[in-house]
Amino acid sequence: MLSFILRRVLSGVILIAVISFLAFVLLYASGGDIARRILGENATAETVAKKAEQLGLNRPLLVQYWDWVTSALTGSLGRSWFTGELVSVSVSNRVAVSLSIVIGTTLVSAIVAVVLGVLAARRGGGVDGTVQVVSLIGFAIPGFLIALVLVLVFAINLGWFKATGYIPLSTSVSGWLSSVTLPIIALSLGAIAAVSQQVRGSVIDAMSRDYVRTLRSRGLGSNSVVYRHVLRNAGGPALAVLAVQFIGLLGGAVIVEQVFAIPGMGQLTVRATTLGDIPVVMGLVMAYAIIVLIVNLLIDLAQAALNPKVRLS
Amino acid sequence: MFRWKATAATIAIAALALTGCAGGGDGGSGAGDSGRADRLTLTAIVAPTSYDIGAGAEYGNRSPFFQAVFDTLLQKDSKGEIEPWLATEWVYNDDNTVLTLTLRDDVEFTDGTKLDADAVVASLERFRDGTSPQAATFAGKEFAAVDATTVTITQAAPDPSLVNLLSIAPGLIQAPSTFDDPDSATQPVGSGPYVLDTASTVTGTTYVYTANPDYWNADAVKYDNLTINVIDDPTATLNALKAGEANGAKIVNNDTIPEIEASGWTIESNELDFQGLLLFDRDGTMAPELADVNVRKAINMAFDREALLKALQAGYGTVTEQVFPATSVGYDESLDSTYEYDPEGAKKLLADAGYPDGFTLNMMSTPAFQTTFDLVAQQLADIGITVNYTDPGTGNFITDMLAPKYPATWMALEQNPDWQLINFMIAPGATFNPFHSEDPQVDEYISTIQTGTQDEAEQATKDLNAWIVDNAWFAPFFRVQGTYATDANTNLEFWPTNAYPSIFDFSPKN
Repeated sequence: MLSFILRRVLSGVILIAVISFLAFVLLYASGGDIARRILGENATAETVAKKAEQLGLNRPLLVQYWDWVTSALTGSLGRSWFTGELVSVSVSNRVAVSLSIVIGTTLVSAIVAVVLGVLAARRGGGVDGTVQVVSLIGFAIPGFLIALVLVLVFAINLGWFKATGYIPLSTSVSGWLSSVTLPIIALSLGAIAAVSQQVRGSVIDAMSRDYVRTLRSRGLGSNSVVYRHVLRNAGGPALAVLAVQFIGLLGGAVIVEQVFAIPGMGQLTVRATTLGDIPVVMGLVMAYAIIVLIVNLLIDLAQAALNPKVRLS
Repeated sequence: MFRWKATAATIAIAALALTGCAGGGDGGSGAGDSGRADRLTLTAIVAPTSYDIGAGAEYGNRSPFFQAVFDTLLQKDSKGEIEPWLATEWVYNDDNTVLTLTLRDDVEFTDGTKLDADAVVASLERFRDGTSPQAATFAGKEFAAVDATTVTITQAAPDPSLVNLLSIAPGLIQAPSTFDDPDSATQPVGSGPYVLDTASTVTGTTYVYTANPDYWNADAVKYDNLTINVIDDPTATLNALKAGEANGAKIVNNDTIPEIEASGWTIESNELDFQGLLLFDRDGTMAPELADVNVRKAINMAFDREALLKALQAGYGTVTEQVFPATSVGYDESLDSTYEYDPEGAKKLLADAGYPDGFTLNMMSTPAFQTTFDLVAQQLADIGITVNYTDPGTGNFITDMLAPKYPATWMALEQNPDWQLINFMIAPGATFNPFHSEDPQVDEYISTIQTGTQDEAEQATKDLNAWIVDNAWFAPFFRVQGTYATDANTNLEFWPTNAYPSIFDFSPKN
């Protein structure tokens, strides 16, 4: 297993190097006068030229990239061209916010999806039909619409939760819960729909296998068969779907972040990309790449732990 | 067996716990030991760029962040009138080329260093030599400390905007002790009414300030704490208002005003920007048709300004045909009916100018304002002008406009005080005069405004405005209503000269 992890880490480093170069080239290829974007329409052409010179935007692309790489290798991702804040601080602040919401969403959706999926697979009939319909609705209604309804009902009318903003866990546990609960619910519904269908299908498939019949013939209870044996086999595909959901939510939750005015990675990515804040975008790209690599590694390890037939190779 | 009762009880307890911390409606109420209200919570639509005044000092929608931590040399009151602040007196020499400022002698920066003439000179020089958006307004000016409380500003020629500039971004004073510290971008040190709480602040989204305990003008500070949340999404802003999570909010979409008022909020407004066409190529370098003043007049007659105001701003604003604001001495209300909406008359003017079949005009568009561009194209098509739009791509709109790559464009522009406005969009070297249009009459008016007596300057400003309208250098549609909403606990006097209210003009109702 150790050699597997080391190989994955090595390939991850190579992948990050490639991603960083592609991201840098793409950011410049998208064009735009970054100095003008920073200064706005009030600045004269001379001030804009001075800002471009100050940021080193007049240098060849490869020189700029090499400077970024050498700086990054020494642990410095530079400062935001807009706010002057250290990129490492900007990104780590946002990663903490996004991870708390995405991990919460993943946990909630995993638990609810497994319950619904197993229920639908075991009971069939009306229960299965109901779960299918609920899943369909979960797929069909966009997260931001759910978010808007949740804000209206639970934040504005009932006043149970915060309508906007984020309170760090370190500041207040109840405040944190108040700020993340609605976003997690809004994001979970779509994820539950996807994962519950996967669980349902996998459980139905596993239930028809010979080993289940064998287990039953040996007198094992239905719950024991399902939760100790069937779910271990059916869990693999569901884990894969959850992993995809997790990664997608990191950057894809931007609209829900906008609705709740939550300072997450998605919001910063959109803002930094729109403004041409290349140091921040590069910092975010690195953060995304590292998180994706870690999540994929953990999922592979979890798959192996769930099902011994899966070989780490 | 599922324990329904236990689960319901748990949910109820959790809901009660959360209810206690939801909302966050500080409401500005609750006086602290200082006798001030506890907290003022505002929302802004943009975050400040760097707090280093040599890199990011800016007013407009970014003004509250800078006002909170820095003082300006002069200040504007709620009516927009200049009043003493760090400088208690200011006087020009006879030919208006040297301005002498007398400073207060009782001010310290929040790091304990003294705010004296040397510090002021160093700060003004940092702004001049830096890359803040308005840095060029100080180009060529020399600053000198005569003694500990006297500063002179020397310029080659009179600058009628100088006193105003000292009351906004160029007049901000940063502690020189922080100039070499790159962290001054996010950890500002000034002498302002508040100190940034860097531990509670999340750059870009939430800015938390506490009152400066040693502030020289303590009476001007009405709250012990100030929080400014950056919310650029109009829906989220509306939600924050309805949930009582702010005391004041900048409103971007005027069509939400009825909903905001229905929620019990008070609307304050001013008018600082105009929207319309900038007919840049007045010499016909790129579009020969625009060299003919009758073509430019025809374009002005093509627009149903009332309908545009209704369609694009829900009627919030005032139609205008002038680039000078209503607060300008040059403004003349009668000029706003120079070009009545008259498509047939416009067609006749085009025919007289030699374009009976119209012509094609190249302009830029950008998806963010697609409705505006569609309406502009439709109204111009009605008089025979076909608009050929090009989307310059993200971030290139202003750059391509000022290159210049197009003979005319739609734009929303600030209506600054007169001399700033002239140097922003009328003078031959103005930023928004990219073809450097020039006319001897315009030059004469500008010269008089710069060097004449006050009466002469005021008359020249009126004449210049009338000339610009008569010669159709622009085709303004309307002035946009800038809107600010405050909750039931908060008083606000919205100054007429800036997009965001002064933090000194908020006060608790109780």
